[in-house]
Amino acid sequence: MDRRNFLKVGALTGASATLTSCGNPEHQMIRFIPEEEIQGGIAIWKPSVCPLCATGCGMLVRVVDGEAEVIRNGKKGLIQMGLARKLEGNPAHPISQGKLCARGQAAIQVTYHPDRIIHPLKRNGVRGSGPFQEITWDEAITILLSQIDGLAAAGSQNALAFLTKPMRGQRQTLISRFMQSYGAPPPMNFDPFGDQVLRRANAHSFGHEQLPTFDIAQSRYVISFGADFLGSWNAAVPQSAGYGEMRQGKPGHRGKFVQVEARMSQTGANADEWVPVNPGTEGVLALGMAHVIVNLKLRPGNLAALAEYTPAEVAKRTGVKTERIERLAREFAENSPAIAIIGGTPLAHTNGMFSALAVNTLNTLSGSMGKPGGISFMPQPGKDAPPGTSFNKFVTEQLASPESPVKALLLHEANPVYGSPSAWRVREALSKIPFIASFGSFIDETSILADLVLPDHSFLESWVDDVPESGAGIAVASVAPPAMRPIHQTRAMPDVLLDVSHRLAKPLQQPLPWKTYEEMLKDSFESISPGADTWNNAIANGGVWGKTGEPGVRPLVPLFPRYSEPEFDGEGVQFPFHFLPYKSQSFLDGSLAHLPWLQELPDVLSTAMWSSWVEVHTETARGLGLVQGDVVEISSTQGKIQAPVLLSPGIAPNVIAMPMGQGHETFTRFASGRGANPISILAPMAEPETGALAWAATRVRISKVDAASKLILFAGGMREHPDDHR
Amino acid sequence: MPHKWGMAVDLDRCTGCEACVVACHSENNIPTVGETEAARGRAMHWIRIERYWEGEFPEVQVKFRPVLCQQCDEAPCEPVCPTYASSHSEDGLNSQIYNRCIGTRYCANACGYNVRFFNFFTPSWDKPLHLQLNPDVSVREGGVMEKCTFCIQRINAGKVSAGIEQRPLLDGEIQPACVQSCTANALVFGDLADPDSTVSKLSKSPRGTKLLEELGTKPKVTYLQRGSWDDSQKR
Repeated sequence: MDRRNFLKVGALTGASATLTSCGNPEHQMIRFIPEEEIQGGIAIWKPSVCPLCATGCGMLVRVVDGEAEVIRNGKKGLIQMGLARKLEGNPAHPISQGKLCARGQAAIQVTYHPDRIIHPLKRNGVRGSGPFQEITWDEAITILLSQIDGLAAAGSQNALAFLTKPMRGQRQTLISRFMQSYGAPPPMNFDPFGDQVLRRANAHSFGHEQLPTFDIAQSRYVISFGADFLGSWNAAVPQSAGYGEMRQGKPGHRGKFVQVEARMSQTGANADEWVPVNPGTEGVLALGMAHVIVNLKLRPGNLAALAEYTPAEVAKRTGVKTERIERLAREFAENSPAIAIIGGTPLAHTNGMFSALAVNTLNTLSGSMGKPGGISFMPQPGKDAPPGTSFNKFVTEQLASPESPVKALLLHEANPVYGSPSAWRVREALSKIPFIASFGSFIDETSILADLVLPDHSFLESWVDDVPESGAGIAVASVAPPAMRPIHQTRAMPDVLLDVSHRLAKPLQQPLPWKTYEEMLKDSFESISPGADTWNNAIANGGVWGKTGEPGVRPLVPLFPRYSEPEFDGEGVQFPFHFLPYKSQSFLDGSLAHLPWLQELPDVLSTAMWSSWVEVHTETARGLGLVQGDVVEISSTQGKIQAPVLLSPGIAPNVIAMPMGQGHETFTRFASGRGANPISILAPMAEPETGALAWAATRVRISKVDAASKLILFAGGMREHPDDHR
Repeated sequence: MPHKWGMAVDLDRCTGCEACVVACHSENNIPTVGETEAARGRAMHWIRIERYWEGEFPEVQVKFRPVLCQQCDEAPCEPVCPTYASSHSEDGLNSQIYNRCIGTRYCANACGYNVRFFNFFTPSWDKPLHLQLNPDVSVREGGVMEKCTFCIQRINAGKVSAGIEQRPLLDGEIQPACVQSCTANALVFGDLADPDSTVSKLSKSPRGTKLLEELGTKPKVTYLQRGSWDDSQKR
């Protein structure tokens, strides 16, 4: 529509749009942004919190007025409103420190995505096939209430389930309290590529079941075992800021950074020294270094406990030369404060717990725990929510019984159908559930199974809050009001849940005392420090933060873990390659593949855009007669996928690697039907103690197939070989 | 005295995270061209991270280098433009006057840094993605060349607010989008005409180099080379 037509439509519908919006319940949710704040062309900045990963960066949203097409009371019209135009890090926020990563910069496209669900939907066809019908919010809430009331009337409250992505703060509390008061099991978190193994290891080693915070800025030596800590792992934004300071922030002291991994990550690409090891032996190398440190009396320790980790033995198992092990160990001990980090692939082997404990031992020996330049744990508010129900247990029970134990599932921003190995049969398990309601903003592989869709606001349109787990040395609780009014017929999930809780036929055992989520947040922040200004300051600044009395780390004696051998699915002759899927720098585990800026963002190591690829070592490829761009079939015991070959010098010859994120069947126009999903062919291996998916424990074979390559690289481009493009 | 805008890029801090790339897209309304056009080499990134492999497995290393318009003092793109669309601003920027541009693409041919991008089509945004557009930056039409401007809209806004308050611009007050987002603080922007500015000092660092300096283009972007651990041990 051009400007002239815009004006025409505005003239016709403008008056009615303005008048009819009064008295609409939708209007009550948008009262936070008074119209008078908006001045033509004048930008204002509002705090918010980035929702795209678990870091929880505080952001500032640049809001400038503009004309948006909206529907009010069934009438389409133009409305002048404040619109988010640019996201920046909030300089006052201790996690983001004024910065945002590439994903955070693209988060604005979640709000303005052309395939967002813009009103409630009811399934209108065979489940999973797609057709949905638009319904009103009144109808949608009535359907949801009848389902939940129906379960209560039949006395089967425990047949209600709630499945979400990992959540924190008051959203998690609200869902937990709702489920508890209703009489249902606690909500399930779906996070197969999360860090349960490391959290549990930290509980064993340091008494904190939590991800660590690294003071990289003041560190003189950082050795990372597989952790993509400058890209996709843990609190990447504050970790990158610390890394920059470690390199050039202190004149005369440039810290050294060593990366240990079998496939060079974006983080590994920055290392002074890159140390490839055999997959699953990262912990062995860590204990080998500990052996050297204790043996040379650089630190006191129990050498007998490390007897089997002599450099010669460790060299044999890891593939790292003896002299190098000895040198790395000496450097680590002699350059205090020193940090050892473990994350990602090493934790995703069946012996991930051993590796995590081994690296923790190295940190205990370094003497940097809880000190400047070392490792600490962010103070956390008391956890009032009970631990969640295990997703795997739920799936197993669903598949085992002839009738679905769960009668109604509430789904919020989790996509286990895409994000699970095919062997878990998640689609089958979910399909048995008689009623599924989704609060998500997009139709994906999981929400397409829903019978009812109650679309949430985007984070820029709703109250947001978060309690970061790591990334700052002080306690942080973020909160922010909506940065803009909703542009679609959506409602905030917490408000819908509160509304439903008050309208149940059989009231909750302990009714939720808040009418809106805003009231709940206000209560929770005022409980941190009572006083009139707490809340007002918190929402003006984007949260509260400061020192608390809680000690960061309790001092411990080194704990020497028992060795466990990594196990792999697929025997070596038939499946000669280790298969390492990794979180994409753009899409993480695939949840961000719908954002066009991230699809067109060249992957930093391959420069690939809009496509999948599989990384094969140059020499391995030569041996197999493969050249760059050849399409290969990657087969595991679980299935096969196809992807074009990308030659890489930064990967061990017996390993192939593939980024997660592509290969969506159903996930908006930008991601659907593009590339292949490496998760689908993973074997259902698990780390025994936590039950976490051992997603790096699958072996595969590759063979060339006759298919057109879709490898699109930014490097090179048409100037180098114009004939290819004619 | 006129300003002379310049940038220092500390390659020892840069992690290749590409926050700058998306920040630039968002700030400057750079179109997403889609899979088919991207395959034809028509993707637009005013700033990109170049990646260089060094050595062979297992002794392999990578170097990253963010590359954007070097805002050359002797810019090859300027004299070749028949319509003076590529011209030198008072502040020393290689500006691109979009409504003079007739799309000869001579400038992109002449540029040694591959940082000029041609709009083969008039861009469009699937609604309501158009609401993300920055109202301070004009959207370029098909047939027009575009490039990094050092976020001229932010420079002008900074000058205006300093003018209203009748004070000189402060060092670091103006930050292009890439600089503001840079997670490791690898990018520093400022006035090279002010000898006390951070960017002036960094540009004189012994680690400083210019990209393709031998072309005689006199770039205003200085790259600070990566350090090595052994160097710092000797100090």
